Amino acid sequence: MKQSTQRVAVVSSAQTQLREAWSGQQHVDLITDAVTRALLGTGLTMADVGVVIDCGSDVLDGRSISNCGFLGAMGAHHKEESRVEEDGLFGAIYAATKVASGAVSVALVIAYSKPSESIVENYYATIAEPFYQRPVGLNKRTSAGLMASQYLAASHADEADLALIASHDWKRGSANSFVEGASDYSVDDVLASALVADPLRELELSRPVDGAVAVVLAAEPIARKLSDAPVWITGMGSSMESQFMAERAPGELEACAVAAKTAYRRAGISDARSIDLAEVSATSVAGEAMVVEALGIAERGRAGAAYADGSIDINPSGGAIPADPIMATGLVRLHEAALRLSGRAGESTAERAVVHGAGGLGMQTHSVFTLEV
Amino acid sequence: MTNVAITGVGQTHHARRRTDVSQVGLAREAVVRALEDAELTMDDIDSVVVCTGPVLFAAVNQPEKWLVDAIGARLKPVVRVTSGGGTGLAGALAGVNQIKGGFADRVLVVAYDKLSEGALQYSISTLYDPFWGREFAVGIMGFSAAYWRARMEKLGHTEEAAALVSVKNRKNAMLNEYAHVKKEVTVEEVLASRPLCWPIKLLDVPPISDGACAVILSSEDAAKKSEKPAWIRGMAYYSEAENAANRSMLQSEPLEIAARHVYAQAGITNPRRQVDVVEVQEPYTCFELSYYESLGLCEPGGAAALIESGATEIGGDIPVNPSGGCMGANPIGATALIRLAEVAQQVRGRAGAYQIDDAKVGLMQAGGGWANLRGVAVVSSTKG
Repeated sequence: MKQSTQRVAVVSSAQTQLREAWSGQQHVDLITDAVTRALLGTGLTMADVGVVIDCGSDVLDGRSISNCGFLGAMGAHHKEESRVEEDGLFGAIYAATKVASGAVSVALVIAYSKPSESIVENYYATIAEPFYQRPVGLNKRTSAGLMASQYLAASHADEADLALIASHDWKRGSANSFVEGASDYSVDDVLASALVADPLRELELSRPVDGAVAVVLAAEPIARKLSDAPVWITGMGSSMESQFMAERAPGELEACAVAAKTAYRRAGISDARSIDLAEVSATSVAGEAMVVEALGIAERGRAGAAYADGSIDINPSGGAIPADPIMATGLVRLHEAALRLSGRAGESTAERAVVHGAGGLGMQTHSVFTLEV
Repeated sequence: MTNVAITGVGQTHHARRRTDVSQVGLAREAVVRALEDAELTMDDIDSVVVCTGPVLFAAVNQPEKWLVDAIGARLKPVVRVTSGGGTGLAGALAGVNQIKGGFADRVLVVAYDKLSEGALQYSISTLYDPFWGREFAVGIMGFSAAYWRARMEKLGHTEEAAALVSVKNRKNAMLNEYAHVKKEVTVEEVLASRPLCWPIKLLDVPPISDGACAVILSSEDAAKKSEKPAWIRGMAYYSEAENAANRSMLQSEPLEIAARHVYAQAGITNPRRQVDVVEVQEPYTCFELSYYESLGLCEPGGAAALIESGATEIGGDIPVNPSGGCMGANPIGATALIRLAEVAQQVRGRAGAYQIDDAKVGLMQAGGGWANLRGVAVVSSTKG
């Protein structure tokens, strides 16, 4: 960020458990739980929060201006509030700029989804513009399959590489107590699962889950009071691709690379290999591989090797494959990365992280954060 | 922290049904005009903020994903901010924060709705809680009528006073080349018009329009080459959680809070005296009266006397909606940004047929939701 602006840190964050269906809880219950626990133990109360930015989807919620119904749960009563109808990491960009400008000292970012109450494929299908993209049946599954085919054709990677990434994510997800019902799938399990969007198998598409996450951002003076080692946001970038699949470069995510380049430039990161930890979003393992490559963590077509190599810890939480709370996925990644850097998740040697969020059909838009302690 | 200026604005010719363009073609029309006005191209734009009404209005989810191609914004940061009817202002505020927070130097804010492509009141009805609200709340008119009814008794916002809002704004819209409805009415005609949800009658209600607006925001450095920037002196957008018994039906608390913050930012202590021109987003006539009071243009209960005095007409000392306001055109997702663009044009001296003489300070208001999301901005011809 520029010299004239405030440094911004992630000072606290919390999430609900991510479940296929949070049947006993309404949206407001999940949001309240995340917000309450994000503030817990910080010494901050809602009175200290200067702005609330929230990310959810009217379509998934089945409700117009759905933020209106959740303002009380979000603690936004008589506060500045805005809805960014995109993945939560894009909401975090808004909140971070607000703090960086000096307009507020503390910002609360909230993201949630309850896809168990919706038809998820309709959410994706209605993103496609109605004249050329929608009639051919583009949705999450078909767009992911097309992109995976392009990825395999454009690189040396094969189906075993994709299965390796899937198995990695499921294993890590199964060890994550905030992810319910994720099994410890092996590469063989993945390859034995049903082919759902050739070349992708059932266990290679992200699993939609219900959940909410809340992140508290603060300006430097407050961040230093709250922590000996604040997690600083050192860079942010965002970029949107063309909607039209045929317009996109096959086998890569150019917009993700642009977002990463912007974030790295702002953070002064010249070599992505200096990053210790990556938390990335994806709707399929092929998408995840392309994100890892666009972030510069692996060379083109070599994402699988980067997981096997382990010099950069990729998706220690399991990432989005075992648990994809759609509008909250990127903000969960920010929470997970900040948790590890701060030592709140146990002792860690990681000092620098990259966080990624995506949105749209075929991961059309991307945001990238760099964090440091 | 840099100052932020409006260096270009553009809007479409609004209509009930624009069959000549798609949704994104409509938005593009406003973008092209704003870029021309600012003497810039998309190459000069760092970031784009898109604003629309609820996506159910036009049945395209996340429409910015489609718009990106129509406006040549591929590989730029593009994000949509949606906050009900006031979304255009919420989006402008996001853009201002991007500049002040060092994320961008020039932001294009584009707001639009193509209401001819959806079922408006049906879509709005889904705003309410599916268990406790939707059974009896239909559209946005019911509770608006209830609020007006309460204000009628306590604050004297009579049907005649509200009719004057319709008369004034529809008269002003005659001067606006972009307006969708150009037809003067009399107080008698408003009072005799068909009741839709009493006391709201047909001529208390603005039209339903297709339309778009675009505004280019620039940092102080980026605005240097601009001949006539409008400086944003204050901007805020506040919410109110309850839609229940403990809300004030008489004054809009979120609007009062937003106005208080914005006036403090802009150094305004007496808006009636210090502000030269006002644009408000009036979904029904009765709301304009309410805004006079919450914005501090008069005392609580003074709105009826204020409009009766003629002070809010184009020749008055505090003109409100010289563009015609929503009565001239109401493409909901764009309406708030149109109000901001209109006051910017006033302080830039570019408001054409309805230019207020020597306008230096402009005030705008916008809002949405169930009248619980409320924003305010002050623009000026000087940085301050």
